[in-house]
Amino acid sequence: MLEKINEIKHQIEQDIVNIKNSNDLENFRVKYLSRKGIISELYDLIKSIPQDDRPSVGKAINELKIYCQQVFDNKKQEIENLSNIITEQIDLTLPGRRRWVGSLHPLTKTLKEIKFIFQKMGFDIADGPEIEEDYYNFEALNFPPEHPARDMQDTFFISDKILLRTHTSPVQIRVMERTTPPVRVIIPGRVYRNEAISARSYCLFHQVEGLYVDEGVTFSELKGTLVAFAKQFFGSNLKYRFRPSFFPFTEPSAEMDITCFLCNGKGCRVCKQTGWLEILGCGMVDPNVYKYVNYDAEKYTGYAFGMGIERITMLRYGIDDIRLLFDNDIRFLKQF
Amino acid sequence: MRISLNWLKNYVNIDVSPEVLAEKLTNVGLEVESIDYLGKKYDKFLVGKILKVDKHPNADKLTVCKVDIGSEIIDIVCGAPNVAENKLVVVGLVGATIPRNQHDTDSKPFTLKRANIRGIESNGMICSEYELDLGEDKSGILILKDEKLKAGTKLSDYLGLNDVVFEIGITPNRPDCLSHLGIAREIAAIFHVKLKKPKIKIKESKELVTFAAKVYIDDIDKCPRYTARVLRNVKVEPSPQWLQNYLNAVGIRPINNIVDVTNYVLMEIGHPLHAFDYDRLKNNTIKVRTAKDGEHFVTLDGKGRELKEGILLICDDEKPVAIAGVMGGVNSEITETTKNILLESAYFLPQSIRRTSKLLGLSTDASQRFERGADPNITKYAINRAAELIQRLTNAKVLLGYIDIYPKPIQPKKIFLNTQKVNRTLGTNLTYYPIKNLLQKIDIKFLKRNKIGLWFEVPTFRPDLERDIDLIEEIARLYGYDNIEIKMRSPILFSEQANFRDFEDEIKNYFFGRGYDEIITNSLLSKEMASLSKDEYVEILNPISRDMATMRTSMLPSILSVIKNNIYHQSKNLNLFEIGKVYFKDSSVPRGPYTTPNYREEKRIILAKTGISECPHWSRDERESDIFDLKGEVEDLFVMLSLDKYKFISYTIDRTLTEMNLNIMYQNVEIGYIGKVKKEILELFDIEQDVYVSDINLDILKSFVNYKRKYVPLPLYPMVIRDLAFIVDKGISVEKLLETIKLSAGELLKDINLFDVYTGERIAPDKKSCAFTLQFQSEEKTLTDEEVTQVVENIIKVMNEKYNATLRK
Ligand SMILES: [Zn+2]
Repeated sequence: MLEKINEIKHQIEQDIVNIKNSNDLENFRVKYLSRKGIISELYDLIKSIPQDDRPSVGKAINELKIYCQQVFDNKKQEIENLSNIITEQIDLTLPGRRRWVGSLHPLTKTLKEIKFIFQKMGFDIADGPEIEEDYYNFEALNFPPEHPARDMQDTFFISDKILLRTHTSPVQIRVMERTTPPVRVIIPGRVYRNEAISARSYCLFHQVEGLYVDEGVTFSELKGTLVAFAKQFFGSNLKYRFRPSFFPFTEPSAEMDITCFLCNGKGCRVCKQTGWLEILGCGMVDPNVYKYVNYDAEKYTGYAFGMGIERITMLRYGIDDIRLLFDNDIRFLKQF
Repeated sequence: MRISLNWLKNYVNIDVSPEVLAEKLTNVGLEVESIDYLGKKYDKFLVGKILKVDKHPNADKLTVCKVDIGSEIIDIVCGAPNVAENKLVVVGLVGATIPRNQHDTDSKPFTLKRANIRGIESNGMICSEYELDLGEDKSGILILKDEKLKAGTKLSDYLGLNDVVFEIGITPNRPDCLSHLGIAREIAAIFHVKLKKPKIKIKESKELVTFAAKVYIDDIDKCPRYTARVLRNVKVEPSPQWLQNYLNAVGIRPINNIVDVTNYVLMEIGHPLHAFDYDRLKNNTIKVRTAKDGEHFVTLDGKGRELKEGILLICDDEKPVAIAGVMGGVNSEITETTKNILLESAYFLPQSIRRTSKLLGLSTDASQRFERGADPNITKYAINRAAELIQRLTNAKVLLGYIDIYPKPIQPKKIFLNTQKVNRTLGTNLTYYPIKNLLQKIDIKFLKRNKIGLWFEVPTFRPDLERDIDLIEEIARLYGYDNIEIKMRSPILFSEQANFRDFEDEIKNYFFGRGYDEIITNSLLSKEMASLSKDEYVEILNPISRDMATMRTSMLPSILSVIKNNIYHQSKNLNLFEIGKVYFKDSSVPRGPYTTPNYREEKRIILAKTGISECPHWSRDERESDIFDLKGEVEDLFVMLSLDKYKFISYTIDRTLTEMNLNIMYQNVEIGYIGKVKKEILELFDIEQDVYVSDINLDILKSFVNYKRKYVPLPLYPMVIRDLAFIVDKGISVEKLLETIKLSAGELLKDINLFDVYTGERIAPDKKSCAFTLQFQSEEKTLTDEEVTQVVENIIKVMNEKYNATLRK
């Protein structure tokens, strides 16, 4: 019997070390110290041993019980202390260690998306200067001197023949000068207009120009490309229309409208009650332009298009004042 | 341009709604920008009769009127001096929008509300001519003289405003559409109906016009045609209401019957006419000649104008009487006393009129039409139409015949159109017949055809149609852009080698990820700001304002004004960047595929940091940003781009905008700088906190980037790390210490990092301690302790010799 008591003591010693939390503690208590626990069972066993042995065995069981209670109490204290440390010293609700979060300008975001779509369709990206020659900005684009079409674009002049480009179209000429067809590029860039600054116009803005010249390029394909772009950009269930317009460097020329997504075509302030939003101008490259870059107008046809990044950005985010884009108030910038 | 629906209906049957008509017009390239239902403007305005006028009990200058508005009698408080009992006036009811506020500097419209004016309820407003946009008189309320008018009559009915007006954006290539007949022609083509041109009936007198006046043309190139008629016994008076209504509808203020008729014909047929007072033309003579420099002339608007060589003038026998095709003169204008008139219907060279208009800064309805190209063959029809109307209105005597100088008649153009080319351009499958039919609808004459294509004759009212491609556009337009099927058959094209990396985007993403906000600013700024640079700046000849008269030479001023505005809105901790161009005059720049001669454009990035350096957090102390924050950004940028040959040089030369400068060098090329913005510059922007900036030339930086990388085998042998702290004089720069350590350590030293700088009590006051971590590694073997110690001892020795450095224990 004493042997058995010793064995239980050993077991207690092992079990107590393995106690990690209050659950383990409770299991330990049930196993040894409860009314149906191992120690209570030992007391029941006393009756079955010889009378003479009873005092010594009884004493041993008592000592075991005291020992067990003691280690249990110690462990309990220890566990409680531990959980107190956690709750007192580490408040996990405190804010994390953060860094400033930056932002990309909404115009950059719009341009990235436009570039992404046209790059998927096989367009390369081209570039050119903002301080431009009259020749590239007007003359080679079939704006003759003293032509009323020049009034469509109020121009900042640097000198008689040098100006701030009024559109990205001069880069069309520069690209065709340095490449033979096929040519398929988009040209993003900053352009300037000498207009009073207001909620609707700024003295500069950004455009994306597109140009595709090859054998067999048709107006039908121009429509296809731009519809594909518009659906990718604005959503595939959009409605659109092409209507005739005028640009000296394209013929036929068109403007592309999409149904106003703010009023679903019913008419609102943004679409000036028409239900339509103009998103870009386009057309077939005018044969006169090919003369300036020595392309054979009988062999090649091509299309060009251009869109304003500010306009598209303002439409999609519902920004009603273009100046916000250039004020750079970070409360504005961080919204996109 | 404003086009009246009622007016159009004189020439073409229209049985669709204004909205449908607008859509159809837009689809053929005549973009209807808005539809104006004229009556709507005067929706809540009624004719009222003032029954009683009482003094306002609480205001001397105000009266309280009882006004009969038909259905009821209402009280209105009025301040006009001419208010009187029994007068008929116009009453704006509560809810009405007053078209022009005469107490507002911009005359903005406003909506009437029920008002309590000094204790008296006012239920409307009695309006002035100005407020109603019916005239310019602001002095008092409009008193209606028509005695038969009933109180309660709608103002729109009284004014005959049952019209709908379309605002149409006419592109510069379509001068033929700058008139009602021109638009009607398009409508007839759209709806397949007939165009009814007005038939003209004139009773001519027996007196021959050729005896009454003489016309001479000096410059037949600038004035290819001049047609004139003379009318006697006109009576100058206000036009009848129908004529006034038409003109008002299209936005032309009626003046008198003679001038109104010329304007009416202008808006009807599209040809500008001019009426002279015949008796004020010296010797009844018209001479068309060019001006000499310095000639002076007073135009109809009362302005004196200095003329320039080459401006075309209409003169009498001694003086100019009109600037040809632009504006008439005061000295021959139609007045109430005019008895006889000479009508002019001419054709002027577009370029000449445009030049004149630019030189004088004067653009008129007439000049706009001439410079876009009028029809030289319509002068007679137009002048007859005017003569007919004036005769009808005033019973004038129209003299027999015309004066018509037209020595070289301008013939309609003949154009050959290859059918295949039509389809090759449009992607359609059109045959002869639809092509012919479409063009005939807009009066383009079919001449003949052959196996390849068709010959057409283009009427002279379409100066924009000169080539086959111009006809192809007309075909597409009338066929309907929306009817051209979408076909995509473009081949896949590849550029020489795919460009996976967009350098600029990569930099943007990098700084965005580092917590910087991207800004985009104006590249035009004031001369004062541009001249802060030592380079030559680019000036604009015709700036909007002084603030935007030059191209920026640095992005620093604009980023500072962004900082200023944000601080104003309580955002004081800012990390900003912008990628953009700066511009210089530079005679070394040649004409090139990417350059304009004599001008240099550089792509730059500017970084700015101000306020505290890191997001505030409970676990750390706030620290103001300093130069090392930005230096770190730049160093990390180089690491990101795998560029390791960078160097910073503490700049002793003064920069205009910044101090504490560090020049950023790469392989001995200067690519930018880091610095602290000078106090005096910050003061210009009212910024009271320190701002640190870095400005880097991205074109040069990009030229150093090599995207082609090669794998370097990973080290085979372990690394040994030693920490060394040296005590040296405070004045010795860390850069020098680093250089010396690297040099004395030799090839085994792979990396070195400064991890602590100490000054203070534990060392001598003129000394500092710099602690470094050194990493040693060999490519051939595992380094022994002794080998490393040997190197370290050499370092200590050299450091001691060179800088008197001692090891800190
Ligand atoms: Zn809308």
